Amino acid sequence: MAPQKTATKPQTSAPASPVESLWKAYSDNTSKRLKFIDSFLVFLMLSGIVQFLYCILVTNFPFNAFLAGFSSCVGQFVLTASLRSQVNPENKETFKEVSPERAFADFVVGSIVLHFFVFNFLG
Amino acid sequence: MKSPMLVVLLAFVASTYAAALALQSPKFTVSSPNGDQIRSEPISLTKKSSPVRLGPQDVLRVTFQVTENDGGTGVQPHQAFLRFYDNISGEDGLQPVRVTSNGKARFELNMARPPSSFPPTSPDSVLKVSLIIGSFVHKPLAVDLFDLIVPASQPVASHPEEVYYHPQPVIEHTFRPEQKTPPAFISAVFSALVLAPWVVLVGLWSQLSPKVPNLFSLKIIPFTATLGAFELLLVWYWVDLRLGQVLLYGAGLGIVAVFTGKTALVQVGKLRKGSI
Repeated sequence: MAPQKTATKPQTSAPASPVESLWKAYSDNTSKRLKFIDSFLVFLMLSGIVQFLYCILVTNFPFNAFLAGFSSCVGQFVLTASLRSQVNPENKETFKEVSPERAFADFVVGSIVLHFFVFNFLG
Repeated sequence: MKSPMLVVLLAFVASTYAAALALQSPKFTVSSPNGDQIRSEPISLTKKSSPVRLGPQDVLRVTFQVTENDGGTGVQPHQAFLRFYDNISGEDGLQPVRVTSNGKARFELNMARPPSSFPPTSPDSVLKVSLIIGSFVHKPLAVDLFDLIVPASQPVASHPEEVYYHPQPVIEHTFRPEQKTPPAFISAVFSALVLAPWVVLVGLWSQLSPKVPNLFSLKIIPFTATLGAFELLLVWYWVDLRLGQVLLYGAGLGIVAVFTGKTALVQVGKLRKGSI
């Protein structure tokens, strides 16, 4: 996608495309801790996509295992995304009364409950 | 003083009870739909006349008078019925007869519209017609009048739900075919695909290589261990435990986690603010 854009708009100087500049801004301005969380989010997303593809392309049998696997990905993604937004220093004003430790404790409790349900479904 | 009156009363009851009922001038008439009389005869109670034959549109009329003690005055009995009995099928039908206060009665049977209580008949059935009269104060009376031959009744229309009242075919449960696992090759490919994100995760994390200098500090490691224990408990639940057990152990572990978590997170907060 990026090379196409540069081909149609050769007059744009570096950074070559909006996507590239976005990526550059992300890698320059994001703290390591947030990148750590982001890689986990990417992992969850990929994992969920592969399971969903398996379900629609091959078989949904055993369905309970699919539900457990897919919902664990989705649920964990939601929990992790909310942890990320709460510990992001840029959102300090929004979550004034939520310290990063409190956010992490919430994440842990939510994850344990989620995992309990996931194992319940696993059958 | 009482006794003469009682005697009179008893005598009266006895006299009336003893009185028997009798039929006066019983007679039947068969007429065609256009009013022509086909047959008209007095009914003999001693000698039965030849059977009365009715066409599908004919009308039968029976007239008689109920009297007290042969030749006496007419009386109105409390009940009077004509009974039509088919001794082949054993079916019978009772038709009430209205008797006037002077004992005269007139019964009409129109074969074009037979009453619903009329018994069903076959082509060779002969109905025995008898008259039954009941009274509170007289002896009951039952007399055979004549035999009646009527056209066979229509076959009974089958009820729309009649088919359900027969033995039904045996119910056999059918189940969906057992679901098959996909071929081993496809399973292997998708197993690799599902595991692939782990490679991505490990790759990304090793690039970032976050430092965890305080992970093994004495205040933080118990919390991490508790979280590990939680996950182990859930795996154990998957393998062996029952729901009640996992909830019990989980509750115990939860209490531990509250304390270890509080200690660890307070420590982390202090580290973050740089007060240590």
